[in-house]
Amino acid sequence: MNKARPPAWAERFLRWYCNPFFLEEIEGDIYELFDRRARDQSVRRARLKFIWDVIRFFRWSNIKRSNSKNAIMPKSSLFRNYLKLGIRNLRKYPVTSAINILGLATALGMAITVYIFIDFQLHMNRFHTKGDRIHQVINYVQNESNNPLWSDTPFELGPRLLQDHPAVEQFTRVEYTSASVRYRDNVFEESMVFVDAAFMKMFDFAVLAGSPSALANKNQVIISYDMAKKYFGEEDPMAKEVIMSFGNGDTRTFEVGAVLEDYPYNSGMSFDFLLPMGNFIDQSPPNRNGWAYFTDATFVLLHDGHTIDELYSVYDAYVEEQQAVGPEWLVERFTTIPLYDLSTKGYEMSSPVVLAVEPGGRIALALIALFLLGMACFNFMNIAVVGAARRLREIALRKVMGGVRKEIIQQFMVENLLLCTIALLLGILISRYLLIPGFDVMVPELDFEFRTFFPFDLALFCIGLLCATAFLSGAYPALYISRFQPVTIFKGSQKLGSKNTFARVILGFQFFLAFQTIVAGVVFTDITYEMTKRDWGYEQHNTLSIYVQNSANYELMRNAVMDQPHLESFAGASAHVGTFLPREFFEYLDHEFALRRAGVTSGYLEMMGFQLVEGRFLTDQAMDRKSSVVVNEAFVRTMGWDESINQTFVMDSISRTVVGVVKNFHYDNFYARIEPFVFTGVEDKDICFMVVRSQDGLTSLDQHLRNTWFDIAPNEPYDRNYQEDTFNYYFRSTRADMVLMLIVTAMALFLACLGLYGLISMSIQGKLKEFGVRKVLGATPQGITRIAGKQYVWIVGIAFLLGAPLGAYLIIMMVDELYPVHKPITAGPFLLSISVILLTMIITVVGQVRRAVKVNPASILRSE
Amino acid sequence: MRGIHLGELEELVLLTVGSLYDEAYGVAIIDELKEQTGRELNISAAHAVLRRLQEKQLLESRMGGATNERGGRRKRLFTLTKLGKEALDDSMLIRNKLYKRIPKLTFNFST
Repeated sequence: MNKARPPAWAERFLRWYCNPFFLEEIEGDIYELFDRRARDQSVRRARLKFIWDVIRFFRWSNIKRSNSKNAIMPKSSLFRNYLKLGIRNLRKYPVTSAINILGLATALGMAITVYIFIDFQLHMNRFHTKGDRIHQVINYVQNESNNPLWSDTPFELGPRLLQDHPAVEQFTRVEYTSASVRYRDNVFEESMVFVDAAFMKMFDFAVLAGSPSALANKNQVIISYDMAKKYFGEEDPMAKEVIMSFGNGDTRTFEVGAVLEDYPYNSGMSFDFLLPMGNFIDQSPPNRNGWAYFTDATFVLLHDGHTIDELYSVYDAYVEEQQAVGPEWLVERFTTIPLYDLSTKGYEMSSPVVLAVEPGGRIALALIALFLLGMACFNFMNIAVVGAARRLREIALRKVMGGVRKEIIQQFMVENLLLCTIALLLGILISRYLLIPGFDVMVPELDFEFRTFFPFDLALFCIGLLCATAFLSGAYPALYISRFQPVTIFKGSQKLGSKNTFARVILGFQFFLAFQTIVAGVVFTDITYEMTKRDWGYEQHNTLSIYVQNSANYELMRNAVMDQPHLESFAGASAHVGTFLPREFFEYLDHEFALRRAGVTSGYLEMMGFQLVEGRFLTDQAMDRKSSVVVNEAFVRTMGWDESINQTFVMDSISRTVVGVVKNFHYDNFYARIEPFVFTGVEDKDICFMVVRSQDGLTSLDQHLRNTWFDIAPNEPYDRNYQEDTFNYYFRSTRADMVLMLIVTAMALFLACLGLYGLISMSIQGKLKEFGVRKVLGATPQGITRIAGKQYVWIVGIAFLLGAPLGAYLIIMMVDELYPVHKPITAGPFLLSISVILLTMIITVVGQVRRAVKVNPASILRSE
Repeated sequence: MRGIHLGELEELVLLTVGSLYDEAYGVAIIDELKEQTGRELNISAAHAVLRRLQEKQLLESRMGGATNERGGRRKRLFTLTKLGKEALDDSMLIRNKLYKRIPKLTFNFST
């Protein structure tokens, strides 16, 4: 009779998973049960129950192979021992460990930050769920600019694509404009966009209140969260009316139809006001041809399953049609760029509406981060070798007790992993709380956060980073130390550290970089600081200017301010120093040059405190108002005059006579070269600025003027500027530059010193015996210090000779580029940077050298 | 070791091993348990409990001789250790002690 058999696959499965140690008894028991069930019940049931039993035996205690009863020293407790020793070592040498970990953490923090930054750029705009179907249509244009690829496309393009091509589902155009926006007493000049109604359907901008379809109604506006706060504060903005006065004189009332949520951190667009496109069409001249007018951007949404290449079939016809209209700009050909690629590839086109970043910055940052990390790993490695040298006896003992080399390597790798983990956690903190907020302050236009688009990516990156650094920094010490023979260690004749040329070259290179950055940093800071305290060329305090727009307003404002007790003096102007002044081109004899000019009333120049070099200021006489001019020194130099007073030249077909020359002054920030400047008289109808001066009542005057302004022009913003605040944005940006420079410098110095520390302590550790013998033979402490430090002085010296001039050269080039006029570079910064480096070096080295000096010959030489 | 904690199932299995003496292996133990208490136990659960008891050193085991049954597989035979016997005694003692402290009254109510 054929004996019933249990299912073969279940048997195989059992044999596969089961610990061989238990297999026999388990098999025996379930075979016995199977036989009995096959006999008493049925074969089928028995087989089913057999499978069930096999599954029930599938538990960890039967699977795991290591049987704790049989192993002498289980792996897990060995690891516990490694960890415990690692932690004890950390505690025993807290300073060394802290320095070492901090060095690595700094580099890791930098790497993480750079990773986040790159991830941020690569995943921009990814939150638009239809983004894979949205494309921006762009075009090559024949015009006078260098770059023929433009974001601006013919106004007619979007509607025509929708009409002519079945693949296009929707389109939207983006047309920039600006208007002064008023809600009650809040009036500000704002930049905004007209968009087609499909805009909110194509892009996933979340709506906080109201409906995204608000754009379908021509009288409604969608505002951003920031604007809701700015204009309405705590009030509910919904259905409130705002009045907008556009640049072309059109004034319209809009109702707030929706408020957007704060833009996502990776949004490449962040418009403050979205207006229905219909309003723009109303404002345009009726006979304007849609192919001739270029709007700022055109986006199309394709139907599912269509590719953008299909659109190329209609482009040729469009190009012909566009060129036939004969506009100023001729389209050569159309092309497209997917929404998701705009942030990385959009920099190729002129005037993009979606934030685009050049790849150069990404690559440079990644390289810097990699480089820093490499340096940090190298330093870490050196210091790890020194640290291990203190524990040679422990290693020897482990070997004697039967530890094989593999286990020693394992031990060092585990300890290293522990250190690297701590460094990584610290690095994450540095990145999260120091670097990223720092970046955010320095580049406020990017909404930079500690996150990646897929959170998992960041975790994966950190783990990868941990493995890489742990391996890079730990492999060499582990392999090196584990090779030693116990006998030589116990005998005390194990030598540590050889003439490691590679290590010295690396160290030299680090100092080379450190010197370079430090010299550059100090020179830059020195010059920049000097700049901020520079004389502006006129008296910037106690003055205030208001953009009054026209002479009628000027008249009214002047009348209102005349009787104010605090008013010291006032003046009007057609253009005001400190506000934006366009460059004009002026032809004199046979050459052309750029100049700026301002028409001013009499008293303006005196009030602003311009310094006369020769001649006189403008007076109120008719001749002065019409044809006299006051120029700056740059003008005289450009004209090549020796004698400037009473020289004449023709400007705007009026013969002008120079009556005075003022010292050069900064009408623009200090980055800009000072170019020729001409002050002319001004006709009353051209006045659009009012300038007032008051020694002690400027703020109350300001308040009075503000109130007056709201009576005169309630729909226009009160656009005033304290003269001394003119360059504030510029000072802020220079301060940010200085901070960045300082951080880079500090990091370079810190890493270089770490490298020095590692190498010098390793070499001293290796030479302790030599120092002992020298002491016995009568060496002085000075002599020993000299010997201990000699080779490093060379390295640092060479690094300085190479690095400092190069750093200075580079930074002088940069400074020359940035500031046309700056103070001469003196030896001061160089001396300062040398002393900074020397000081940090001495602090780094002194403890180690003391060890060499204080060495007790008796204890060192005893073991021989 | 005083204060060894025995689970209910562990105690039952331990008692069964004691009662089967020298013939205590997986299948025999679940058979006996079913017979005596009516409780059905999966063989894998029995193995787990036996191994646990062995780790607590309440049981010791050896492999029996090979037979033609069970596909030629040997049995692992369990016997009580001294510690195991003490643990059983202890738990019995505690039970008895506690049992005796139940007032007679309780029985009246329960009937």
